[in-house]
Amino acid sequence: MPASATTYAKTEIDGKVVVGVADLAVTKDPTATLVTYALGSCIGVTIYDPAAKVAGILHFMLPDSRINAEKAQQSPAMFADTGIPQLFKSAYKLGAKKQRLIVCAAGGAEVLDDDGHFKVGSRNRTMIRKIFWKNNILLAADETGGSISRTLSLKVADGSVIVRNRGKERVIWPQ
Amino acid sequence: MAAVADILESVDRLPALPGTVIRLTAMLTDDQADLGEIEEVARHDEALSMAILRFANSALYGRAGREFNLRQSIVRLGGKMLLRIALEQQASNLFESAGEAYGLRRGALWRGAVGGAFAAEEIAKKHAFPDVDLCFLCGLLRDVGKLVMDAHYGADYLPRVSPHIAPGCTVVEGERAAFGADHAQIGAELALRWRLPQRIADAIRYHHEPPAEEPDHDLLFDIVHAGDIICLWAGLAIGHDGLQYKLAPHVRRGLKLGRREAELDITVTWGRLRELEEMMDDSPTQGKST
Repeated sequence: MPASATTYAKTEIDGKVVVGVADLAVTKDPTATLVTYALGSCIGVTIYDPAAKVAGILHFMLPDSRINAEKAQQSPAMFADTGIPQLFKSAYKLGAKKQRLIVCAAGGAEVLDDDGHFKVGSRNRTMIRKIFWKNNILLAADETGGSISRTLSLKVADGSVIVRNRGKERVIWPQ
Repeated sequence: MAAVADILESVDRLPALPGTVIRLTAMLTDDQADLGEIEEVARHDEALSMAILRFANSALYGRAGREFNLRQSIVRLGGKMLLRIALEQQASNLFESAGEAYGLRRGALWRGAVGGAFAAEEIAKKHAFPDVDLCFLCGLLRDVGKLVMDAHYGADYLPRVSPHIAPGCTVVEGERAAFGADHAQIGAELALRWRLPQRIADAIRYHHEPPAEEPDHDLLFDIVHAGDIICLWAGLAIGHDGLQYKLAPHVRRGLKLGRREAELDITVTWGRLRELEEMMDDSPTQGKST
Protein backbone atom coordinates (compact mmCIF):
# COMPACT_ATOMS: atom_id res chain seq x y z
CA MET A 1 0.00 0.00 0.00
CA PRO A 2 1.21 3.56 -0.58
CA ALA A 3 3.26 4.73 2.36
CA SER A 4 3.33 8.47 2.14
CA ALA A 5 1.54 10.92 4.35
CA THR A 6 0.64 13.19 1.44
CA THR A 7 -0.23 10.79 -1.33
CA TYR A 8 -3.58 10.93 -3.11
CA ALA A 9 -2.75 7.75 -5.02
CA LYS A 10 -5.66 5.42 -5.68
CA THR A 11 -5.42 1.66 -5.92
CA GLU A 12 -7.44 0.40 -8.86
CA ILE A 13 -9.21 -2.95 -9.22
CA ASP A 14 -6.29 -4.44 -11.15
CA GLY A 15 -3.86 -3.65 -8.33
CA LYS A 16 -2.30 -0.63 -10.01
CA VAL A 17 -1.50 2.23 -7.68
CA VAL A 18 -2.31 5.33 -9.74
CA VAL A 19 -0.26 8.39 -8.88
CA GLY A 20 -1.67 11.68 -10.15
CA VAL A 21 -0.06 14.98 -11.04
CA ALA A 22 1.88 16.52 -8.13
CA ASP A 23 1.74 13.32 -6.15
CA LEU A 24 3.92 10.42 -5.09
CA ALA A 25 3.57 6.93 -3.69
CA VAL A 26 5.99 4.50 -2.07
CA THR A 27 5.26 0.86 -1.38
CA LYS A 28 6.68 -2.50 -0.30
CA ASP A 29 3.74 -4.48 -1.66
CA PRO A 30 5.34 -6.99 -4.08
CA THR A 31 2.10 -7.42 -6.02
CA ALA A 32 1.68 -3.72 -6.74
CA THR A 33 2.44 -1.77 -9.89
CA LEU A 34 2.92 1.96 -9.48
CA VAL A 35 1.76 3.95 -12.46
CA THR A 36 1.52 7.59 -13.41
CA TYR A 37 -0.30 8.64 -16.55
CA ALA A 38 0.15 11.34 -19.13
CA LEU A 39 3.48 12.89 -18.35
CA GLY A 40 3.80 15.91 -20.61
CA SER A 41 6.23 18.57 -19.44
CA CYS A 42 5.94 17.00 -15.98
CA ILE A 43 8.53 14.39 -15.03
CA GLY A 44 7.96 11.02 -13.43
CA VAL A 45 10.78 9.68 -11.25
CA THR A 46 10.90 6.04 -10.16
CA ILE A 47 13.10 4.61 -7.41
CA TYR A 48 13.58 0.95 -6.58
CA ASP A 49 15.61 -0.89 -3.99
CA PRO A 50 15.94 -4.50 -5.24
CA ALA A 51 17.12 -5.81 -1.85
CA ALA A 52 14.43 -4.22 0.34
CA LYS A 53 11.85 -4.46 -2.48
CA VAL A 54 10.83 -0.87 -1.87
CA ALA A 55 9.51 1.08 -4.84
CA GLY A 56 8.38 4.66 -5.30
CA ILE A 57 7.16 6.99 -7.98
CA LEU A 58 6.81 10.78 -8.13
CA HIS A 59 4.97 12.89 -10.71
CA PHE A 60 6.16 16.48 -10.33
CA MET A 61 5.06 19.45 -12.39
CA LEU A 62 7.59 22.26 -12.01
CA PRO A 63 11.27 22.55 -11.15
CA ASP A 64 11.47 25.12 -8.39
CA SER A 65 9.21 25.47 -5.33
CA ARG A 66 10.18 29.12 -4.81
CA ILE A 67 7.54 30.04 -7.41
CA ASN A 68 4.77 29.26 -4.90
CA ALA A 69 5.96 28.49 -1.38
CA GLU A 70 2.43 28.01 -0.08
CA LYS A 71 1.64 25.34 -2.68
CA ALA A 72 5.00 23.70 -2.00
CA GLN A 73 4.05 23.45 1.65
CA GLN A 74 0.67 21.90 0.82
CA SER A 75 1.86 19.68 -2.06
CA PRO A 76 5.62 19.12 -1.99
CA ALA A 77 5.29 16.62 -4.84
CA MET A 78 4.34 19.48 -7.16
CA PHE A 79 8.00 20.57 -7.46
CA ALA A 80 11.25 18.76 -8.19
CA ASP A 81 13.21 20.39 -5.37
CA THR A 82 10.64 19.42 -2.71
CA GLY A 83 9.15 16.28 -4.28
CA ILE A 84 12.37 14.36 -4.95
CA PRO A 85 13.64 14.62 -1.35
CA GLN A 86 10.22 13.55 -0.11
CA LEU A 87 10.18 10.55 -2.45
CA PHE A 88 13.57 9.39 -1.22
CA LYS A 89 12.79 10.00 2.46
CA SER A 90 9.51 8.06 2.13
CA ALA A 91 11.43 5.12 0.63
CA TYR A 92 14.08 5.23 3.37
CA LYS A 93 11.30 4.94 5.97
CA LEU A 94 10.33 1.63 4.38
CA GLY A 95 13.91 0.33 4.54
CA ALA A 96 15.38 1.45 1.22
CA LYS A 97 19.07 2.38 1.11
CA LYS A 98 20.34 5.17 -1.09
CA GLN A 99 23.30 3.19 -2.45
CA ARG A 100 21.01 0.43 -3.71
CA LEU A 101 18.41 2.62 -5.38
CA ILE A 102 17.79 2.34 -9.10
CA VAL A 103 16.48 5.69 -10.33
CA CYS A 104 14.72 6.30 -13.65
CA ALA A 105 12.96 9.30 -15.18
CA ALA A 106 10.48 9.98 -17.99
CA GLY A 107 8.56 13.00 -19.27
CA GLY A 108 9.90 16.54 -19.58
CA ALA A 109 8.34 17.19 -23.01
CA GLU A 110 7.80 20.65 -24.53
CA VAL A 111 4.98 22.34 -26.39
CA LEU A 112 5.95 23.10 -30.00
CA ASP A 113 7.65 26.37 -30.92
CA ASP A 114 8.32 27.30 -27.35
CA ASP A 115 10.90 29.86 -28.38
CA GLY A 116 12.90 29.67 -25.19
CA HIS A 117 10.57 31.68 -22.99
CA PHE A 118 9.11 28.89 -20.91
CA LYS A 119 10.88 25.58 -21.51
CA VAL A 120 8.98 23.96 -18.66
CA GLY A 121 10.00 20.44 -19.68
CA SER A 122 13.61 21.40 -20.26
CA ARG A 123 13.87 23.18 -16.92
CA ASN A 124 12.38 20.14 -15.22
CA ARG A 125 15.02 17.96 -16.88
CA THR A 126 17.80 20.32 -15.83
CA MET A 127 16.56 20.38 -12.25
CA ILE A 128 16.51 16.60 -11.78
CA ARG A 129 20.01 16.30 -13.21
CA LYS A 130 21.20 19.03 -10.87
CA ILE A 131 19.59 17.41 -7.82
CA PHE A 132 20.88 13.94 -8.68
CA TRP A 133 24.38 15.20 -9.54
CA LYS A 134 24.61 17.02 -6.20
CA ASN A 135 23.56 13.84 -4.41
CA ASN A 136 25.76 11.42 -6.34
CA ILE A 137 22.84 9.63 -7.91
CA LEU A 138 23.00 8.31 -11.46
CA LEU A 139 19.93 7.88 -13.61
CA ALA A 140 19.70 4.25 -14.68
CA ALA A 141 17.31 5.21 -17.49
CA ASP A 142 16.27 8.59 -18.84
CA GLU A 143 13.36 8.81 -21.25
CA THR A 144 12.76 12.55 -21.39
CA GLY A 145 12.22 15.30 -23.97
CA GLY A 146 10.28 15.59 -27.24
CA SER A 147 6.62 16.65 -27.44
CA ILE A 148 4.95 13.35 -26.63
CA SER A 149 3.05 12.20 -23.57
CA ARG A 150 4.25 9.20 -21.64
CA THR A 151 2.82 6.82 -19.09
CA LEU A 152 5.36 5.51 -16.61
CA SER A 153 4.97 2.36 -14.54
CA LEU A 154 7.08 0.41 -12.08
CA LYS A 155 6.47 -3.22 -11.08
CA VAL A 156 7.46 -3.80 -7.47
CA ALA A 157 7.99 -7.54 -8.00
CA ASP A 158 11.02 -7.10 -10.26
CA GLY A 159 11.63 -3.35 -10.44
CA SER A 160 10.98 -3.18 -14.17
CA VAL A 161 10.18 0.28 -15.47
CA ILE A 162 7.95 0.64 -18.50
CA VAL A 163 7.19 3.70 -20.61
CA ARG A 164 4.06 3.68 -22.75
CA ASN A 165 3.27 6.14 -25.55
CA ARG A 166 0.41 5.93 -28.06
CA GLY A 167 -0.25 2.31 -27.14
CA LYS A 168 3.36 1.17 -27.50
CA GLU A 169 5.31 -0.06 -24.49
CA ARG A 170 9.03 -0.06 -23.91
CA VAL A 171 10.95 -1.42 -20.93
CA ILE A 172 13.52 1.23 -20.01
CA TRP A 173 14.89 -0.70 -17.00
CA PRO A 174 16.42 -3.25 -16.97
CA GLN A 175 17.85 -2.36 -20.37
CA MET B 1 -16.36 23.29 -43.94
CA ALA B 2 -18.19 20.35 -45.53
CA ALA B 3 -16.08 17.97 -43.46
CA VAL B 4 -17.26 19.59 -40.22
CA ALA B 5 -20.91 19.13 -41.17
CA ASP B 6 -20.29 15.58 -42.42
CA ILE B 7 -18.65 14.54 -39.17
CA LEU B 8 -21.40 16.14 -37.06
CA GLU B 9 -24.15 14.58 -39.19
CA SER B 10 -22.62 11.13 -38.97
CA VAL B 11 -22.66 11.00 -35.18
CA ASP B 12 -25.85 9.29 -34.01
CA ARG B 13 -26.12 11.14 -30.75
CA LEU B 14 -24.35 14.48 -30.47
CA PRO B 15 -23.23 15.59 -27.00
CA ALA B 16 -25.89 17.74 -25.37
CA LEU B 17 -25.33 20.79 -23.20
CA PRO B 18 -27.23 19.96 -20.01
CA GLY B 19 -30.62 21.65 -19.89
CA THR B 20 -30.04 22.79 -16.31
CA VAL B 21 -27.08 24.86 -17.43
CA ILE B 22 -29.02 26.43 -20.29
CA ARG B 23 -31.92 27.32 -18.01
CA LEU B 24 -29.70 28.66 -15.23
CA THR B 25 -27.62 30.70 -17.68
CA ALA B 26 -30.77 32.31 -19.03
CA MET B 27 -32.10 33.02 -15.54
CA LEU B 28 -28.94 34.41 -14.14
CA THR B 29 -28.49 36.81 -17.03
CA ASP B 30 -32.09 37.95 -16.54
CA ASP B 31 -32.39 40.53 -13.78
CA GLN B 32 -36.00 39.54 -13.23
CA ALA B 33 -35.23 35.92 -12.21
CA ASP B 34 -36.08 35.24 -8.60
CA LEU B 35 -34.53 32.78 -6.22
CA GLY B 36 -37.68 30.65 -6.18
CA GLU B 37 -37.31 29.94 -9.90
CA ILE B 38 -33.63 29.13 -9.52
CA GLU B 39 -34.41 26.86 -6.59
CA GLU B 40 -37.05 25.10 -8.68
CA VAL B 41 -34.53 24.34 -11.46
CA ALA B 42 -31.93 23.12 -8.98
CA ARG B 43 -34.48 21.00 -7.11
CA HIS B 44 -35.19 19.01 -10.27
CA ASP B 45 -31.54 18.13 -10.62
CA GLU B 46 -30.57 15.99 -7.68
CA ALA B 47 -26.84 16.00 -8.37
CA LEU B 48 -26.83 19.79 -8.68
CA SER B 49 -28.84 20.20 -5.45
CA MET B 50 -26.31 18.03 -3.66
CA ALA B 51 -23.42 20.06 -5.05
CA ILE B 52 -25.04 23.35 -3.99
CA LEU B 53 -25.64 22.05 -0.46
CA ARG B 54 -22.11 20.69 -0.22
CA PHE B 55 -20.52 23.97 -1.31
CA ALA B 56 -22.72 26.20 0.85
CA ASN B 57 -22.09 24.06 3.91
CA SER B 58 -18.36 23.65 3.33
CA ALA B 59 -15.53 25.23 5.26
CA LEU B 60 -14.74 27.26 2.15
CA TYR B 61 -17.86 29.30 2.84
CA GLY B 62 -17.14 29.67 6.52
CA ARG B 63 -19.55 27.05 7.82
CA ALA B 64 -20.39 28.04 11.36
CA GLY B 65 -21.98 24.97 12.88
CA ARG B 66 -25.38 25.26 11.18
CA GLU B 67 -26.84 23.47 8.19
CA PHE B 68 -28.24 25.47 5.28
CA ASN B 69 -31.15 24.13 3.27
CA LEU B 70 -31.31 24.47 -0.52
CA ARG B 71 -32.98 27.91 -0.57
CA GLN B 72 -30.59 29.26 2.08
CA SER B 73 -27.65 27.73 0.22
CA ILE B 74 -28.67 29.45 -3.02
CA VAL B 75 -28.89 32.81 -1.23
CA ARG B 76 -25.58 32.18 0.52
CA LEU B 77 -23.72 31.29 -2.66
CA GLY B 78 -25.18 33.96 -4.92
CA GLY B 79 -26.09 33.80 -8.59
CA LYS B 80 -22.68 33.73 -10.20
CA MET B 81 -21.32 31.10 -7.86
CA LEU B 82 -24.42 29.05 -8.46
CA LEU B 83 -23.89 29.11 -12.20
CA ARG B 84 -20.24 28.21 -11.65
CA ILE B 85 -21.18 25.20 -9.53
CA ALA B 86 -23.75 24.13 -12.11
CA LEU B 87 -21.19 24.37 -14.90
CA GLU B 88 -18.49 22.50 -13.01
CA GLN B 89 -20.87 19.81 -11.87
CA GLN B 90 -22.67 19.39 -15.18
CA ALA B 91 -19.41 19.41 -17.12
CA SER B 92 -18.47 16.22 -15.32
CA ASN B 93 -21.40 14.55 -17.11
CA LEU B 94 -20.71 16.20 -20.46
CA PHE B 95 -17.00 15.35 -20.44
CA GLU B 96 -17.36 11.98 -18.79
CA SER B 97 -15.99 9.97 -21.70
CA ALA B 98 -13.98 10.97 -24.81
CA GLY B 99 -11.35 8.49 -23.84
CA GLU B 100 -10.69 6.25 -26.77
CA ALA B 101 -9.76 8.62 -29.61
CA TYR B 102 -7.43 10.78 -27.54
CA GLY B 103 -6.14 8.10 -25.16
CA LEU B 104 -7.73 9.78 -22.15
CA ARG B 105 -8.79 7.94 -19.04
CA ARG B 106 -12.29 8.40 -17.73
CA GLY B 107 -12.68 11.87 -16.24
CA ALA B 108 -9.50 13.26 -17.78
CA LEU B 109 -11.32 15.49 -20.24
CA TRP B 110 -13.39 16.90 -17.39
CA ARG B 111 -10.21 17.76 -15.51
CA GLY B 112 -8.85 19.42 -18.61
CA ALA B 113 -12.09 21.35 -19.16
CA VAL B 114 -12.27 22.68 -15.62
CA GLY B 115 -8.52 23.29 -15.48
CA GLY B 116 -8.70 25.34 -18.69
CA ALA B 117 -11.66 27.26 -17.28
CA PHE B 118 -9.76 28.10 -14.08
CA ALA B 119 -6.63 29.09 -16.02
CA ALA B 120 -8.61 31.34 -18.39
CA GLU B 121 -10.35 32.93 -15.43
CA GLU B 122 -7.06 33.66 -13.64
CA ILE B 123 -5.57 35.24 -16.76
CA ALA B 124 -8.75 37.27 -17.38
CA LYS B 125 -8.66 38.66 -13.84
CA LYS B 126 -5.05 39.74 -14.23
CA HIS B 127 -5.85 41.57 -17.45
CA ALA B 128 -9.02 43.13 -16.08
CA PHE B 129 -11.00 41.47 -18.88
CA PRO B 130 -14.56 42.78 -18.55
CA ASP B 131 -16.25 39.37 -18.57
CA VAL B 132 -14.31 36.88 -16.48
CA ASP B 133 -17.24 34.44 -16.44
CA LEU B 134 -17.27 34.33 -20.24
CA CYS B 135 -13.60 33.32 -20.18
CA PHE B 136 -14.45 30.60 -17.67
CA LEU B 137 -17.29 29.28 -19.83
CA CYS B 138 -15.23 29.30 -23.05
CA GLY B 139 -12.30 27.65 -21.28
CA LEU B 140 -14.65 24.97 -20.01
CA LEU B 141 -16.20 24.23 -23.40
CA ARG B 142 -13.13 24.64 -25.61
CA ASP B 143 -12.59 20.91 -26.21
CA VAL B 144 -16.20 19.80 -26.81
CA GLY B 145 -15.15 18.93 -30.36
CA LYS B 146 -13.10 16.06 -28.92
CA LEU B 147 -16.36 14.44 -27.80
CA VAL B 148 -17.58 14.41 -31.40
CA MET B 149 -14.23 13.15 -32.73
CA ASP B 150 -14.34 10.39 -30.14
CA ALA B 151 -17.93 9.42 -31.02
CA HIS B 152 -17.17 9.46 -34.75
CA TYR B 153 -13.70 7.89 -34.99
CA GLY B 154 -13.11 6.13 -31.64
CA ALA B 155 -10.18 3.73 -31.89
CA ASP B 156 -9.68 4.62 -35.59
CA TYR B 157 -8.65 8.17 -34.68
CA LEU B 158 -5.04 7.47 -33.73
CA PRO B 159 -4.00 5.29 -36.70
CA ARG B 160 -5.62 7.76 -39.08
CA VAL B 161 -4.17 10.95 -37.63
CA SER B 162 -0.67 9.68 -36.71
CA PRO B 163 0.74 9.59 -40.28
CA HIS B 164 -0.19 13.26 -40.66
CA ILE B 165 1.64 14.49 -37.58
CA ALA B 166 5.13 15.23 -38.84
CA PRO B 167 7.79 16.63 -36.48
CA GLY B 168 6.90 20.21 -35.61
CA CYS B 169 3.33 19.71 -36.82
CA THR B 170 0.47 20.35 -34.39
CA VAL B 171 -2.31 17.89 -33.71
CA VAL B 172 -4.92 20.28 -35.17
CA GLU B 173 -2.92 20.46 -38.42
CA GLY B 174 -2.75 16.66 -38.40
CA GLU B 175 -6.50 16.39 -37.83
CA ARG B 176 -7.23 18.74 -40.75
CA ALA B 177 -4.95 16.69 -43.01
CA ALA B 178 -6.48 13.39 -41.89
CA PHE B 179 -10.16 14.30 -41.57
CA GLY B 180 -10.61 17.64 -43.35
CA ALA B 181 -11.53 19.27 -40.04
CA ASP B 182 -10.08 19.63 -36.56
CA HIS B 183 -11.72 19.24 -33.16
CA ALA B 184 -11.79 23.01 -32.58
CA GLN B 185 -13.79 23.65 -35.78
CA ILE B 186 -16.15 20.82 -34.92
CA GLY B 187 -16.57 22.08 -31.35
CA ALA B 188 -17.44 25.56 -32.67
CA GLU B 189 -20.11 24.14 -34.96
CA LEU B 190 -21.52 22.06 -32.11
CA ALA B 191 -21.71 25.20 -29.94
CA LEU B 192 -23.71 26.93 -32.67
CA ARG B 193 -26.08 23.97 -32.81
CA TRP B 194 -26.52 24.39 -29.06
CA ARG B 195 -27.50 27.99 -29.95
CA LEU B 196 -24.64 29.45 -27.96
CA PRO B 197 -23.56 32.95 -29.05
CA GLN B 198 -21.22 33.25 -32.05
CA ARG B 199 -18.43 34.70 -29.89
CA ILE B 200 -18.38 31.60 -27.67
CA ALA B 201 -18.33 29.36 -30.74
CA ASP B 202 -15.42 31.40 -32.11
CA ALA B 203 -13.51 31.13 -28.83
CA ILE B 204 -13.83 27.35 -29.20
CA ARG B 205 -12.86 27.50 -32.90
CA TYR B 206 -9.71 29.54 -32.20
CA HIS B 207 -8.56 28.02 -28.92
CA HIS B 208 -5.47 26.54 -30.60
CA GLU B 209 -4.92 29.18 -33.29
CA PRO B 210 -6.22 32.58 -32.15
CA PRO B 211 -6.12 35.25 -34.89
CA ALA B 212 -3.32 37.78 -34.39
CA GLU B 213 -4.64 40.47 -36.71
CA GLU B 214 -7.65 42.77 -36.65
CA PRO B 215 -10.54 42.54 -37.30
CA ASP B 216 -10.57 38.91 -36.12
CA HIS B 217 -8.35 39.40 -33.08
CA ASP B 218 -10.21 39.14 -29.77
CA LEU B 219 -8.63 39.19 -26.31
CA LEU B 220 -11.14 36.51 -25.26
CA PHE B 221 -9.65 34.06 -27.78
CA ASP B 222 -6.12 34.88 -26.58
CA ILE B 223 -7.08 34.23 -22.97
CA VAL B 224 -8.78 30.90 -23.73
CA HIS B 225 -5.78 29.86 -25.83
CA ALA B 226 -3.31 30.74 -23.05
CA GLY B 227 -5.51 28.89 -20.55
CA ASP B 228 -5.33 25.81 -22.76
CA ILE B 229 -1.52 25.88 -22.78
CA ILE B 230 -1.36 26.48 -19.01
CA CYS B 231 -3.57 23.44 -18.65
CA LEU B 232 -1.14 21.33 -20.70
CA TRP B 233 1.75 22.48 -18.53
CA ALA B 234 -0.28 21.53 -15.47
CA GLY B 235 -0.43 18.00 -16.87
CA LEU B 236 -4.21 18.04 -17.42
CA ALA B 237 -6.02 16.16 -20.21
CA ILE B 238 -2.84 15.09 -21.95
CA GLY B 239 -3.55 12.11 -24.15
CA HIS B 240 -2.13 10.70 -27.37
CA ASP B 241 -1.84 14.29 -28.60
CA GLY B 242 0.84 15.01 -26.00
CA LEU B 243 2.14 18.58 -26.12
CA GLN B 244 1.89 18.89 -29.89
CA TYR B 245 0.33 22.33 -29.74
CA LYS B 246 1.79 25.80 -30.14
CA LEU B 247 1.54 28.87 -27.96
CA ALA B 248 0.79 31.75 -30.33
CA PRO B 249 3.62 34.32 -30.06
CA HIS B 250 1.21 37.28 -30.18
CA VAL B 251 -0.64 35.84 -27.18
CA ARG B 252 2.57 35.50 -25.17
CA ARG B 253 3.50 39.09 -26.01
CA GLY B 254 0.00 40.54 -25.68
CA LEU B 255 -0.71 38.91 -22.33
CA LYS B 256 2.86 39.58 -21.17
CA LEU B 257 3.04 35.94 -20.22
CA GLY B 258 6.47 35.39 -18.70
CA ARG B 259 7.91 32.23 -17.23
CA ARG B 260 7.21 33.24 -13.65
CA GLU B 261 3.60 34.27 -14.37
CA ALA B 262 2.98 31.07 -16.33
CA GLU B 263 4.38 28.84 -13.58
CA LEU B 264 2.35 30.64 -10.95
CA ASP B 265 -0.78 30.20 -13.08
CA ILE B 266 0.04 26.49 -13.41
CA THR B 267 0.21 26.07 -9.62
CA VAL B 268 -2.96 28.11 -9.02
CA THR B 269 -4.90 26.21 -11.69
CA TRP B 270 -3.83 22.87 -10.31
CA GLY B 271 -4.59 23.95 -6.73
CA ARG B 272 -8.10 25.13 -7.61
CA LEU B 273 -8.81 21.89 -9.42
CA ARG B 274 -7.64 19.86 -6.44
CA GLU B 275 -9.88 21.93 -4.13
CA LEU B 276 -12.84 21.34 -6.43
CA GLU B 277 -12.16 17.61 -6.58
CA GLU B 278 -12.00 17.43 -2.81
CA MET B 279 -15.28 19.33 -2.65
CA MET B 280 -16.93 17.07 -5.21
CA ASP B 281 -15.81 13.93 -3.48
CA ASP B 282 -17.49 11.87 -6.17
CA SER B 283 -15.42 13.52 -8.88
CA PRO B 284 -13.98 11.43 -11.71
CA THR B 285 -10.63 9.75 -11.17
CA GLN B 286 -7.78 11.84 -12.42
CA GLY B 287 -5.22 10.76 -14.95
CA LYS B 288 -5.30 9.34 -18.45
CA SER B 289 -3.59 6.69 -20.46
CA THR B 290 -1.37 6.83 -23.47
